[in-house]
Amino acid sequence: MFENKYKVFENIDLTADEGKFIGLVGPSGVGKSTLLRLIGGFLKPSSGTILLEGKPVLKPSPKLVLIHQSIVTFPWMTAIQNVMLSLTPKHLPRDEAREIAARSLETVGLQGFEDLYPKEMSGGMRQRVAIARALAANPTVMLMDEPFAHLDELTAEGIRQDIYNILFNVNFPLKSVIMVSHNLTEVLELADAIYVINGSPATVVARIEVNLPRPRNPKQPDFDRYLDTLYNYLTVRRRPQ
Amino acid sequence: MIYAIALILAAVSATAGRVLGLILISIVTGWFLSYYAIKSRIFESIYVISMEIFESVPVISFFPIVLLLFVSGIGGSLGVELAVDFLVFTAVVWNIWMGEYQAFKTVPKEMVEVGENYKLTLMEKLQKVYIPFSIPRIAANLFPSVSDGFFYIAVSEVFSVGNKSFQVFGVGSVLYGYISSGNVEMIEVSLIILGLVIVLIIALLREFAKYAVSRYALDTDTPVFRRGRFNIREAARRSGIIALNPLTRLANYNRIRRSRAYTDEYYEPEARKRKRRLIPPAIGIAMLLILAYLAYLIVSSVSLSTWYYLFSVTPDLLMDLLYDYIRVAIIVLVSMFFAIFVGYYFAVNRKAEAVGIPAIQAFSAYPAPIYFPFIFLGLSLSVSSIFGYLTDEAFVLFLGFISTFYYVFYSFWMGVKAMPQEYSELMKNLDLTFTQRMRRVILPATFPYLISGISSTINSAWGGLMIGEYWPDIIGNKTLSVGHGLMKVIDVATNSGNITLAAWASFLFGIVVVFYSFFFTKKMMDLARRKYVAEEGIFSA
Repeated sequence: MFENKYKVFENIDLTADEGKFIGLVGPSGVGKSTLLRLIGGFLKPSSGTILLEGKPVLKPSPKLVLIHQSIVTFPWMTAIQNVMLSLTPKHLPRDEAREIAARSLETVGLQGFEDLYPKEMSGGMRQRVAIARALAANPTVMLMDEPFAHLDELTAEGIRQDIYNILFNVNFPLKSVIMVSHNLTEVLELADAIYVINGSPATVVARIEVNLPRPRNPKQPDFDRYLDTLYNYLTVRRRPQ
Repeated sequence: MIYAIALILAAVSATAGRVLGLILISIVTGWFLSYYAIKSRIFESIYVISMEIFESVPVISFFPIVLLLFVSGIGGSLGVELAVDFLVFTAVVWNIWMGEYQAFKTVPKEMVEVGENYKLTLMEKLQKVYIPFSIPRIAANLFPSVSDGFFYIAVSEVFSVGNKSFQVFGVGSVLYGYISSGNVEMIEVSLIILGLVIVLIIALLREFAKYAVSRYALDTDTPVFRRGRFNIREAARRSGIIALNPLTRLANYNRIRRSRAYTDEYYEPEARKRKRRLIPPAIGIAMLLILAYLAYLIVSSVSLSTWYYLFSVTPDLLMDLLYDYIRVAIIVLVSMFFAIFVGYYFAVNRKAEAVGIPAIQAFSAYPAPIYFPFIFLGLSLSVSSIFGYLTDEAFVLFLGFISTFYYVFYSFWMGVKAMPQEYSELMKNLDLTFTQRMRRVILPATFPYLISGISSTINSAWGGLMIGEYWPDIIGNKTLSVGHGLMKVIDVATNSGNITLAAWASFLFGIVVVFYSFFFTKKMMDLARRKYVAEEGIFSA
């Protein structure tokens, strides 16, 4: 709830099960990014609780790591230094931190690019660095806020094809991913379950289990059916309270 | 009593009127000069280099010479008045001119093209495009300019050269009269009235700054924050800050510079265009010639024996300058320490910021030379019990600090505020400690701001040293004086009427400062622009 008593959400109940990639879709301005930041502990809910493995989330922590819509790297650090940043709180020996960071970069396909500065990389490579940095923190849940929005379609498609296998790689203890997106095709390509939020105040209008085989392809026969379902939920007019 | 209060009010108004009037003149002249600068490469080079040089040489160091020139050239109270006005003008003008030039230089290409498309005249372009675009930058630069203006006017309203004393009507001269007659009550009333007027001016400037940002700042300046949909108010507030920040736009400096090569090629007769193009370089060359002629006049008026004398004392003067650089380094380090801790605290704590920032702005605008003698009087005994024979040194460093810490503090605070929101979230997310945040993210991200603030702090520290290193009769019959220091040499030489030595010391000082500015500050700024522009770390299509 905002300071002016404007209620943003009502009756929101989301669950991200182990091993699941959760999509979160909704019309522009409905509060998707706000919801993601509430889950991450960046914002405090005026009522209700966020639980991670049964314990309340009270502040941001590396267990719930956020990947931003605008791709965040530090221009004064090389790719590997950017990744090592997430290992700083652990006070690991430098060599060990470097090794873990290199492994993360390798996982996202950036082996050999460790010493490049962000300015020397494409947008897609930078987002891979950001993902590697998040993975190196050993998160339990990864929160992704429209992570491909600033990439061109070909690059985004390339990362999308890799991302599921990267995220649920056995080398990382990641248990779940929650991704916000307004791109329905993208969400359908990746998610195991999709929450649709809509209305004002926003509420969950549907949870859709996506039972499409992987790797997914928009040309699959059922793909359009899912798209239509999502589209219908999103275009239903809900009267503001 | 009523008469005395009316006199004080009139004096404070005269002082404030001088400061604000001269700032206004700086703003108006800056618009035209900046426009000519962006239209002519030759004029631009001369203009920018001149600004950089004059900005880095503390005006107070050449005030005695300026005073004599005005007094002997014009004479009487008008000569003294113009000398004081000139001193304050040179204290406030560079900052404002530089801000306007940077704003004009970074007007978005699309806006320039619209102006050209509709064939706007010079005045129309200024009125509709350039001036509105420069308003937020001017609003931001008004705070340090007002502080500088009050600082220098406070010390220039009463001034001695040799056994001659000069003064103009203002709070400085009225206060001097009360101090001489020991009228404590009126001293207090003067300080309170001056304080109230400064608080009022700062409050008005803050309102103006808010208005300037809300009306004239462009959304397109803030591509990073516009995406942060979850907190619109926060994004709007930050966009205001970033719109005030010259460095953000300087990142695009070269691109815009190149794009401006596109000019109106149609309809205007070629001869007329050529004539117009000649005006700005002509002004630039004329400025250079005037400076060269003045230099020639000075050099030729000094006898050979005097030149021998001046060269013989030069090594000692350079050693004195070294002492001063050590003092400046200490002042800068303490100011940075203050800025990093207090500035960061304010940047992340809204309640503290709402109170702390206006308080610091008002405090920094309150001229230290006015109230410092009373601090000296009150704390002399306790400070001397701690510092012993270094008591005067401690007071001088303290004076330097209170008259200059503001610049690095404000720059750092602004740098933290302008840092991409995503960086703040990431630091929280990774659970970095305060030291880790500072070392890995905040100090690098604010490096360009820090360098700019440190540079201003260094430039202003000289003013504090100039006043403090030798201050006869600071209060009662007490004198504040350090053992060694070039500013002290200039002060003593001025007081004893040895203007030649004062001028030579000022000249040497000017050369060293300019070299320092070019070889250190400029290199650091280049590094900052090359590697530490935080906005470049945020990728968006």
